[in-house]
Amino acid sequence: MRHEPAWTINRLLAEQTRHPLPAVRPQVAPLAASVRKRDNVRMNLLDKTECRRIADLALSAAKADHTLVSISDENGGTARIANNQIVQNVESHRLVLQIESAFGLRRGAAVTTELSDESIRETVARSEAVAKVVPEDPEYLPPLEPRRYPVLASWREETAAAGAEARAAAARTTISAAREAGMTAAGIVSSSASAVCIAANSGLFAFERRTRAEFSLTATAADSSGWVQCASRSFDDLDIAVQSRIAIDKARRSAAPRELPAGKYTVILEPAAVAGLIGPLFGALSARSYQRGTSPLRNRFGEAIVDERLTLRNRPDHPQLLGDAFDTQGLASDFRTWIDRGRWLQMAYDRFTARQAGVAPSYALDAPHLSGEEGGVGGVEDLIASTERGILVTNFWYIRSVNATDLTLTGMTRDGTFLVEDGKIAGGLVNFRWHDSPLRALRAVEAFTAPLDAITAERDKMMLPAMRIRDFNFSSVTRF
Amino acid sequence: MNDNPQITRRDFVRMASTGAAGALLIGCESGARRDTPAAVSREPVTAEPPPPDTKDWRVLADEALSRIRRCGAEYGDVRLLRSTTQVVRGEDGRIAGVSDRVSRGFGVRVLYHGAWGFASSALVHGAEVRRVADLACAIAKASAALVSDPVKLVPEPPHIARVATPFQLNPLEVPLDQRAALLLDSMSVIHAQEGISRSSGRIWMQRDEKFFASTEGARIDFDLLAINAELRATAALEGRFASRAFHTPYLRTGYELIRDSDLVSQAERIAAQAVEKAQAPTIDPGKYDLLLDPEHLSLTIHESCGHPSELDRALGYEANYAGTSFLTPDKLGSFRYGSPVVNLIADNTEPGTLAATGYDDDGVECQRWHIVREGVFSGYCTNREVAGKIGETRSRGSCRADSWANVPIVRIANVGLAPGDGRLDDMIADIRRGILIEGHDSFSIDQKRYNFQFGGDAFWMIENGKRTHMLRDVIYAGITPEFWSRCDAVADAMHRRTYGFITCGKGQPGQSGWMTHAASHARFRDIDVIRGATAQT
Repeated sequence: MRHEPAWTINRLLAEQTRHPLPAVRPQVAPLAASVRKRDNVRMNLLDKTECRRIADLALSAAKADHTLVSISDENGGTARIANNQIVQNVESHRLVLQIESAFGLRRGAAVTTELSDESIRETVARSEAVAKVVPEDPEYLPPLEPRRYPVLASWREETAAAGAEARAAAARTTISAAREAGMTAAGIVSSSASAVCIAANSGLFAFERRTRAEFSLTATAADSSGWVQCASRSFDDLDIAVQSRIAIDKARRSAAPRELPAGKYTVILEPAAVAGLIGPLFGALSARSYQRGTSPLRNRFGEAIVDERLTLRNRPDHPQLLGDAFDTQGLASDFRTWIDRGRWLQMAYDRFTARQAGVAPSYALDAPHLSGEEGGVGGVEDLIASTERGILVTNFWYIRSVNATDLTLTGMTRDGTFLVEDGKIAGGLVNFRWHDSPLRALRAVEAFTAPLDAITAERDKMMLPAMRIRDFNFSSVTRF
Repeated sequence: MNDNPQITRRDFVRMASTGAAGALLIGCESGARRDTPAAVSREPVTAEPPPPDTKDWRVLADEALSRIRRCGAEYGDVRLLRSTTQVVRGEDGRIAGVSDRVSRGFGVRVLYHGAWGFASSALVHGAEVRRVADLACAIAKASAALVSDPVKLVPEPPHIARVATPFQLNPLEVPLDQRAALLLDSMSVIHAQEGISRSSGRIWMQRDEKFFASTEGARIDFDLLAINAELRATAALEGRFASRAFHTPYLRTGYELIRDSDLVSQAERIAAQAVEKAQAPTIDPGKYDLLLDPEHLSLTIHESCGHPSELDRALGYEANYAGTSFLTPDKLGSFRYGSPVVNLIADNTEPGTLAATGYDDDGVECQRWHIVREGVFSGYCTNREVAGKIGETRSRGSCRADSWANVPIVRIANVGLAPGDGRLDDMIADIRRGILIEGHDSFSIDQKRYNFQFGGDAFWMIENGKRTHMLRDVIYAGITPEFWSRCDAVADAMHRRTYGFITCGKGQPGQSGWMTHAASHARFRDIDVIRGATAQT
């Protein structure tokens, strides 16, 4: 397989200047507490040398033809808010060692959470015991050969330093904002730091440290609600005060919602709603289901499957995305164009289907970036301003497949649905159920913005434009 | 294999009776009970002794409880857990993965001045127990400043007990090659059917060894099993594809569940039905009477009755994620949820069911109560934290964590539709234009659980009292209390079946809940049915 050259920090910095980070904001936690917590977190996580030692111990104990070792060590916490107070505040140290063994085409796997030398050897033995008795898997492929991995800016000290006190301070900020607005806050503030390692007897070795911070608020008023969610490698980028105001403003502006009849409407989907609609399409890019005749994109490889102004790429370098440097098999992350100006160019190949097709396996789309050639019209406000009549959707909820053959989905609108008239928000609406396919809706795009942050309770972080879409099918209304 | 001598010595309780599957009992020992506990007394702080150098769960639990008392908390508990999960997975006629996962760890929960702190770790040794217990105390103290309505636990006697799942065949001792061979045989039967494109299958089992101890004196040992098997066949014909599945229920029992389910004949049946479904005519949208089978109903009950009956949701705890509930406390005891034939009963005491664990993760004894009695909303699923907020004096015992790593939260109980007096044949004979729906497929419901939409795994037209041919693309939609008000018949106990879920998502960080929903077939009149497809414009 051909590799992209490894990215360097300098390259990442160059990328950051093209996609500027939000301005630096003051830390929420007092410095002393940060330092104390940081030391605590870092002491708890395995470093590269310790991972190497564990992997070497496992590999030297192994008798199988092939052995793949995966280690994941994570320390993370979440303050959970409801009814304007902290109702749950947790911190967990999770550790997982997985051994995958193969004798010829017979394969097995075993997992443990205990990393004593004895437990490591015992886990290798359990994995091999499994591999020895199960039937051959004709699709088994040995671990990858050693390769180079991109160096991503996946670790941020300030996130590793953000412990229970910093999360509580951030929770206080959002609770105060909701209380001042006469609303009820429910949400989360979370931060985690992890170390991940892959090693194999082929010589393959990869190690990465990752941080992740997340904030979400649902502000509830008498008969309306507003929502926001954001995630970043950096705890300081969560921008809790500003984000809280967005959720509160949505709840305020959607008060006393009107009920409109079900039917087809022009919609403005904010990026989170686009994430809900487009996510299932990513899953439909599978080469295996294409080959077996169970793909909703039957016979459409190479054709335009979405609006011909839109291009979908994997952007692990993007400072606002959360892509990893390597996956669970040790494949290196890559820049890859999946959809180019609407045309489907890249199928998702697992290693076996890739080999059968004579192509390289594809690294998962874990840093999706959808953008237009001309960059779009600006922000959501610009889409609203240019809309005569339509429905603005903050977010979707409980999205499920209805028909796998044409990718029909259903879901609800949630936490901020508005009527737009004459370029302005005219008021809140009672929530709708919808029933539509991204294969139709993404071919009915009228206008879109530059890519913006998008994350929901059902979809991990992406960069997606907000979009105005024709004839979106709202199939029924609910009671609130 | 087990580092806790007390639990190692304890063998699984074997069922005394030799007979039928389904007659299995959860062996609960109610144990010694004490009076309602007084506040935890604060131990004097003295020079620190070294942490205990042991892997004995009881000693480690005592260390955690002693740290909790030391920090001045009013309540605390510790759960030590070892979960063994074995999965054999088949795909497209091959064994695609076999894994043997052991997850060990502990979680400490502390209530300090009405605020919770929770910390957990995979490192089960004395120094880490001390660190994590102290961390849980520190987190609770950090939260206490942001608590305006302090948590008050409703009382529960501190139980000292032991719970074990009875079984005939220890599933973890059934050789892996035997489990793999069963899946390979089943998949090869599926692929023998003309028109089949894909197959998959899975045999899953888990053993949870757990020790719960609280500052109130509760000490409970658990040794629990759960098991299930499933198969799927997908047909692809002339550009259309359709799949059909078979699931055993998830139950707390031994391998006899799978031995007796005859997977290979189920494989033959679903393969034939997948091909028939791919060629079936699409639904003509409109009003239909629906006859829902017990497996299908398990999901309808779960989504439209189970979730709205969780009191934490009704009180806003899940407003940011899973959602709230239209069943607000003002509706308790008076709201018309469904027709008078609708009796939805939570039963965490029914042997073999997933939530029948003897005690929940609050240490509260499992119970049986009505959620809906003769159509009227009459009870919630609660834990010790929320029960008091609506004036109840005891928790319903519905507080569970999905692992040592996560904090216990309110979960749906084993909510089931009580059998009625309908004879199934008569119920079908009395349908002029209707649809029989089996199994699960598409499902979606709003965050207050009013507006829902469900598909199914298989659909048959019923015309003039007779089941005729299969259909595809059937989706029914409604508003929960309107839908249940259209239920006019529930089949008798002969048709009662139990199905469960282990993938009920809730909580932040997300956790998966386990519960069983039993039902007999039920009939619903005049329901909106739409076509699950998109007109391409």
